[in-house]
Amino acid sequence: MRHFPDVQKNAVVQALESASLSKIRRALRLLDELDREQRGPQLDVELLSTYNLEPVLPVLQLAMSCLPSVACPRLAPLESIESHIAQAAQRPAAAVFDARMIIWRIEEVLPEALYPFSHGFPERLAASVDQLLERIERVVALHRRNSPGTPLFLSTVPLPVHLANPVSAAQHCAGPYASVSRVNQKVYEVAKRGGGVHVLDLASWAAFEGETHADAMVDFLARQPLSAKGQVGFALFIARCLRSLIIPRHKVLAIDLDNTLWGGVVGEDGVNGLNFGHEFPGNVHLRIQRELLELKHRGVLLVLLSKNNEADARQAFESLPGMILKWEDFAVRKVNWNHKHENLRHAARVLGLGTDSIAFLDDSDYEREQMHQVMPEVLILNDSSDPLQTLRALWETDAFDSLIVTAEDRGRHRDYTLREAREVEGHKDDLEVFLKSLEMEATIDEVGPANIERVVTMLGKTNQFNLTTHRHSRGHVETMLASPGSIALALRLRDKFGDQGIIAVLLAVRGDNAATLVIDSFLVSCRALGRGVEDALWAAMLRRAERQSIQRLEAEYIPTAKNSIVAGLYNRLGLQRISHNSGSTCYLLEPVTFVESPPWIALKNENQ
Amino acid sequence: MNNNDPLLDLLLEFFDLPADTRPEDIRQQLVPSWDSLAMVQLITELEGKFLVTFDIDEIQRLRSYDEIRDALSRRASLKAPLVS
Repeated sequence: MRHFPDVQKNAVVQALESASLSKIRRALRLLDELDREQRGPQLDVELLSTYNLEPVLPVLQLAMSCLPSVACPRLAPLESIESHIAQAAQRPAAAVFDARMIIWRIEEVLPEALYPFSHGFPERLAASVDQLLERIERVVALHRRNSPGTPLFLSTVPLPVHLANPVSAAQHCAGPYASVSRVNQKVYEVAKRGGGVHVLDLASWAAFEGETHADAMVDFLARQPLSAKGQVGFALFIARCLRSLIIPRHKVLAIDLDNTLWGGVVGEDGVNGLNFGHEFPGNVHLRIQRELLELKHRGVLLVLLSKNNEADARQAFESLPGMILKWEDFAVRKVNWNHKHENLRHAARVLGLGTDSIAFLDDSDYEREQMHQVMPEVLILNDSSDPLQTLRALWETDAFDSLIVTAEDRGRHRDYTLREAREVEGHKDDLEVFLKSLEMEATIDEVGPANIERVVTMLGKTNQFNLTTHRHSRGHVETMLASPGSIALALRLRDKFGDQGIIAVLLAVRGDNAATLVIDSFLVSCRALGRGVEDALWAAMLRRAERQSIQRLEAEYIPTAKNSIVAGLYNRLGLQRISHNSGSTCYLLEPVTFVESPPWIALKNENQ
Repeated sequence: MNNNDPLLDLLLEFFDLPADTRPEDIRQQLVPSWDSLAMVQLITELEGKFLVTFDIDEIQRLRSYDEIRDALSRRASLKAPLVS
């Protein structure tokens, strides 16, 4: 929403604060006036619910629009979960959507839990829960069968707000509360298996929101349980869960040092004069550090931006008792007297990332304002010098939201630290010598069930080294894999620092002529740039094409705001440019000639 | 907008009615979009705007400008005045 013009922004804020339907409609009308680029990508979501969400649709549409997206929430008929999913295959037009949400609550799916003693507590109630757990499994299987590749968000069920004798309800392992826990545990388990199933944790949302999210009157009147305030919170929560589908998370958090990581100014107060530890106010800074360390382990790269003497800063990291963050936890450290925006631009270059993937935290109004003016694409998380507000900003931001934390995410810090080391080392030594010293081993596998999830994630997220930026769904990739003669490869890289995971993907399908291969997608994770893995993957593809008697290879470069780094790739790989317009450049390789793989990358499972 | 009658303003905007619609013409029988869904949303809107909670008996009778005004007046007499 931060990129909306003020008129729209103010209308949205008023609408959400007041929860007034009139204001919500007005805000939606104003958003309709924006052009396509301002509105964001299309987001079609199918909602299946056991209660009436129709009154909530306008506010849900508004919340989704603010992601931003061209939001289209579609409501399936009430209480038709299984039959609606089963019929999806027969309704091809209706079956195309970006996500499906199943929203249920105990009042409809397990009403026995509200009146346990009227329903054979505990044995019969436990049996009813067992049946519901089986139903959850059946619904997920049905979704996978009829809508493969479409993300499914499965809701947990909130504890019932309107329940007599809550004290009794909590006293038995088969009582109402424990029954709700069993149901929700099943939802978590189903999602843990992956395969595009995610948790819409309405139970946690309702607990955070409190009793005021519910309105018994409208529930009885229209089977819609949410109060006006509850509707807004519900819609914002759903929109936040959907956000990760269309908006890449911020990859970098640049952080100030003094009065952020600790209280005080190390250059003036000395290490002994800093506030940090388990006593107030140092405990606020300690908690900020814990949050940052957690972000690092989830794959967000930390950059230290401080106007200080580096020696002073280092001394504090080394000698301030109880420090949570270590000097090495930062992928890049810029501690000097340069402008912070200059340092940040340099850090982005070192990391090979766009500056629009960076968020920034600083207690100084001046620094935040200067950053905003010079680099408006950087997301400024906090708006106050108060450390508690800084902490709240970290608690509340959706900038780092992701549905899945992969092994690649967890190892990202190490990879980028290596990158910074290479940046320094690259000036000293010949690049090839340096690359050899990394002891790289590539394993090139066909894309299949074992790696498709990572491949689809990469297709959805990779911006820079991506020739076509086709954001294929899992279903689409599966269709490509099934087409005769297709070549789909994923490259996993290991080096002396460990397993880097799958960092390059190439998808190709047969053209109109059976002897023609068309490159559909070719991408390399930005953390593996400059190592020559693209050449290794290209050579592996050519070897397979040769074995399949491919005579002609077609490829395309589709320029975006972020992929200029690969504008000359096909030229370098020896392809001939055959056509060019503003939307794409087409290349041809005929006859198909074999090329050598880079000598500094050992191929584990390739017959050279 | 009629700044002296926030209820009239709310109903005109909510049902997207012409500004010169007379209050006595704002009745469920005469406003096509006043269906059961609109009724639920209107109750939420009224409760949010005027900070009141209706009881079941009142909700069954909220079918026109006059009836809503009467219900709000009964509630408002206990709290802040309805007309600003």
